[in-house]
Amino acid sequence: MWNVTIKRLLAKKVRVLMTGVAVMLGVAFVSGTLVLTDTISRTFDGLFSDIYRNTDAAVREKAAFGANNAFTAGRGRLPASVVGSVERAPGVAAADGTITGIAQIVDKKNKPVGNPAKGAPVLGFNWLPDAQLRTLRLVEGHGPEAAGEIVIDKKSADDTGYKPGATVPVLLKTGRQSFKLTGIVKFGNANSPLGASIVAFTTSEAGRVLGEPGKFDTIDVAAKPGVSQQQLVHNIEQVIKGEDGGKLEVVTGKELTSEYQTGFQQNLKFFNYFLLVFGLVALLVGGFIIFNTFSIIVTQRTREMALLRAIGAGASQVLGSVIFEAVVVGLIASLLGVAGGVVLALGLKALLGVLNFDIPTGGIVLKPRTVGVGFAVGLGFTVVAAVAPAIKASRVPPIAAMREISIDRSGRSLRRTAIGLIVTALGVLALVLGLIGSGGAPLALVGAGAIVIFLGVAILGPLFARPVADVIGTPIAKLRGMTGSLARENAMRSPKRTSATAAALMIGVGLVAFITIAAASIKASIESTVTKGMKADYVIDSGMFRQGGFSPKIESDLQKAPGVTAVSGVRDGQVEIDGSVKRVTAYDTHNIDSLFDIGVTKGNLAALPANGVAVQKDVASDKNWKVGTKLAARFASSGKKTLVVGALYSERYPTGNYLIDTKTYAANFADQFDVQVYVKTSGGANAENRAAIKKVLNTYPGAKLQDRSEFAAAQTAQINPLLSLIYALLALAVIIALFGIANTLGLSIIERTRELGLLRAVGMTRSQMRATVRWESVIIALFGTLLGLLIGLFFGWVMVEALKSQGFSAFSVPVGQLALIVVLGALAGVLAAIVPARRAARLDVLQAITTE
Amino acid sequence: MTASTLEQPTQTGSAARALAASKVYGSGDNEVRALDGISVEFASGEFTAIMGPSGSGKSTLLHCLAGLDRLTTGQIFLGDVEINTLSEKQLTLVRRDQIGFVFQAYNLIPTLNALENITLPMSLAGNKPDPKWLDTVVGTVGLSDRLNHRPSELSGGQQQRVAVARALLSKPRIIFADEPTGNLDSKAGAEILSFMSEAVHGLGQTIVMVTHNPISAGYSNRAVFLADGKIVGEIPAPTPDAILDRMKQLGA
Repeated sequence: MWNVTIKRLLAKKVRVLMTGVAVMLGVAFVSGTLVLTDTISRTFDGLFSDIYRNTDAAVREKAAFGANNAFTAGRGRLPASVVGSVERAPGVAAADGTITGIAQIVDKKNKPVGNPAKGAPVLGFNWLPDAQLRTLRLVEGHGPEAAGEIVIDKKSADDTGYKPGATVPVLLKTGRQSFKLTGIVKFGNANSPLGASIVAFTTSEAGRVLGEPGKFDTIDVAAKPGVSQQQLVHNIEQVIKGEDGGKLEVVTGKELTSEYQTGFQQNLKFFNYFLLVFGLVALLVGGFIIFNTFSIIVTQRTREMALLRAIGAGASQVLGSVIFEAVVVGLIASLLGVAGGVVLALGLKALLGVLNFDIPTGGIVLKPRTVGVGFAVGLGFTVVAAVAPAIKASRVPPIAAMREISIDRSGRSLRRTAIGLIVTALGVLALVLGLIGSGGAPLALVGAGAIVIFLGVAILGPLFARPVADVIGTPIAKLRGMTGSLARENAMRSPKRTSATAAALMIGVGLVAFITIAAASIKASIESTVTKGMKADYVIDSGMFRQGGFSPKIESDLQKAPGVTAVSGVRDGQVEIDGSVKRVTAYDTHNIDSLFDIGVTKGNLAALPANGVAVQKDVASDKNWKVGTKLAARFASSGKKTLVVGALYSERYPTGNYLIDTKTYAANFADQFDVQVYVKTSGGANAENRAAIKKVLNTYPGAKLQDRSEFAAAQTAQINPLLSLIYALLALAVIIALFGIANTLGLSIIERTRELGLLRAVGMTRSQMRATVRWESVIIALFGTLLGLLIGLFFGWVMVEALKSQGFSAFSVPVGQLALIVVLGALAGVLAAIVPARRAARLDVLQAITTE
Repeated sequence: MTASTLEQPTQTGSAARALAASKVYGSGDNEVRALDGISVEFASGEFTAIMGPSGSGKSTLLHCLAGLDRLTTGQIFLGDVEINTLSEKQLTLVRRDQIGFVFQAYNLIPTLNALENITLPMSLAGNKPDPKWLDTVVGTVGLSDRLNHRPSELSGGQQQRVAVARALLSKPRIIFADEPTGNLDSKAGAEILSFMSEAVHGLGQTIVMVTHNPISAGYSNRAVFLADGKIVGEIPAPTPDAILDRMKQLGA
């Protein structure tokens, strides 16, 4: 039995390969994702070890909240006086206070360097007096020695052309200021760390422009030779005990490095999952193709199986032989897939680069875990998909060896209808439950629901494959004559096959359609919310969301501009409220009424006290908060505070769920940046007012001045890069489905050899033959596309309905784009048919009509 | 060679002929001469049976005459057109427009009904059949009430009748039949053969049929005998008995 199976595999190398391609691509995507994230992760591990190479210990304030992630931990700054104490501790060779902040270089064309909203940060440091602790290495000139002097990184210097001695404008939280460039530095051995730009100031100047005067972020400490990091930490702890209100903590250099390394890996995890989802989609599509291919092969081999049974092979032996074949296909596909994954990792990186998600990487990292996962999913999907066909094969009765194989008209059983409907209903249930957020893991529930719906529709597919193929095929038959009718008949002759082939495409198209509808709905919702409540005439965007912004000086500058009647900056930050970390937004609450209508339902925004917070009404009612409720809060910088609910409002845009006044923000946050500024003018948006504001913005390069409609357009455009990325990743699922169509057509052609020979004998030309295969492919592809569109529409509608309370106000169906998807679906059919059509046309007529 | 000369077969004189036709498979020691310099002519309006034992080359001759296979050396003429020099595409069009086929089995496209199968070559050419002629042909083979049936719903004999009707419909210069009754019982076989004979005598069709069955060959008006790739004799207006005698002489 085994050698029958092995000989068969060897005889059908090409088919094994074709079948495997589907799984191979899925495996390649999964392993490619892992390789990419491992590679990025190692690069950053190296970066952090490099940064803290000479740091044996660090002193800092304990995290007020979020201590488990080095990047999001809310930590205050410590007083500079602590440095003196640390220096006195035994075993300390050197101790320097560090200051890190945001500083953006402006180039000679008055353009800010770097785009922190999309890529590497724009960093400001203090120039550490101690050369050993300093991570910056001079390559030219000297370090800053006076308040007006700076050094910048070599990459920025090369990009801008600034040389030592030049005057360099820098954007800071204190405003725009020009400095004299005294030197150029490298960061460790790199021109710039992963593309970030760096400006270093003297320590006292850094305190003023980056942090807080007289305060440091951390104190970096180097040990004397022979003193261990643990010993050093212990010594420092003894000396500084009780200082800074007991808020200090000391960590070893090793701990500090690994905190950042694990913190980074946590942040990478989301990205990893995001990519892995697409890998799983690809594998799911691959699973359909494996199932379909094995089903067709088993049907074609019915006689062979029956013959084996007739001469004494057991049912389990037949079952085993099909499973064995699946295992071989799975193994080969996984092997090639893991290898392809390495190549794909480079491709993904390039793709992300093209779409402005810039990721630096070093050498490729291939972990044994990646290989293991690749083989597990590859083999798993292949074997599971082959189980049903294998069982079918084992049920072939020996008598079938003597029967003619007739056309398969099955697939319309009551059982199929019932099972399909039940599975689909279960999927819908899971999807809805997940979307309304019940259950432990709503996202996983949504994903599982979507997969189950796809399965359910695929089970139901054969029920309407015939009528739908008939309807799609009729105009083709009308237009293309005999080739069209033959194509239609061929697409209709085996509903199960047509349906399973189309199902693979359905998944990709369904997701693309869903994303298209979701994006259109999101954009429509944004547009309506932005235009609905907004009264401000202009928005000035820093383009530096959560990465700094304008100096608040911009507010007073704008107020002085002629025509300006109201101004509010937008600041944003994290606070622990009622035990969990929340995002708060700060506006000038006295002005907010003239800038937007956020639908205040209780209380008075203008009368919000210094310790007041306004809360979105649904959030408040969930927590049973009312105007006057006192909330325990903890700020990174100012520590424990009590906030009082002063007002409730209905709109989540633009203020989010928690709104405080600018003054409250200033009192509790160490750094003040305006992410955006809203401006109201007398006379509304007009050329005169625009010019007046433009004039102010000359000193704020990088500021984007937008009127209401420009702002709405810019807000909706924000999702475009992500959208392109998702489309590009979903393209993989569609490409795999094309292999599936090609594979099915190829197998059908083998099955129809005689018939095709006859057609050729009675006068069908090669091009007519190609057209017949091509149109059949188009009909199958359109069937899959239509199923996908229906599912996509359903997903989109359910999502919008379920998330209505989250600000989804509009369900928008972009008819033009969906029509384009149908056209692309048909083209996909043409593409998939190229190889099988050529094979059909090349058929040797004489051989075909004389085949047994 | 132009398309128009292809499309206008002359219905007089020679319908097809082979000149010094040879077909060689393999080379050296493995060389097999399936056709060994055959020259033969098939007159218009004649029903010829090609007979011979297995391996005599009768099927190869038919395939080469019908443009399904190419000669190694020699010439095949269909009317005045030498088909050995035609391109693949021209050959396909010749088959479609000037030749009719009836094979032993698997003659029909399973997804098309009887009528669609009958009109298939014309549909491929983008032509509509002359309705009167279609009625005549369908009537001749007695299929009027079966036109909407698919092949799987027809008996073997009915399927072959559809195949004969298909071959007749385009009024081809010549019909080639390869053991057309091989898969049928004797009654159904006799029916098919009488239709074919009627097509020749009543409608003026030319038919060349390969068979090894003397009774089948008895319907023809000329039997040509092949052995080892050569023509070894022929009988005009043969009877089954005469054919059997000749076959015995040939040691088949």
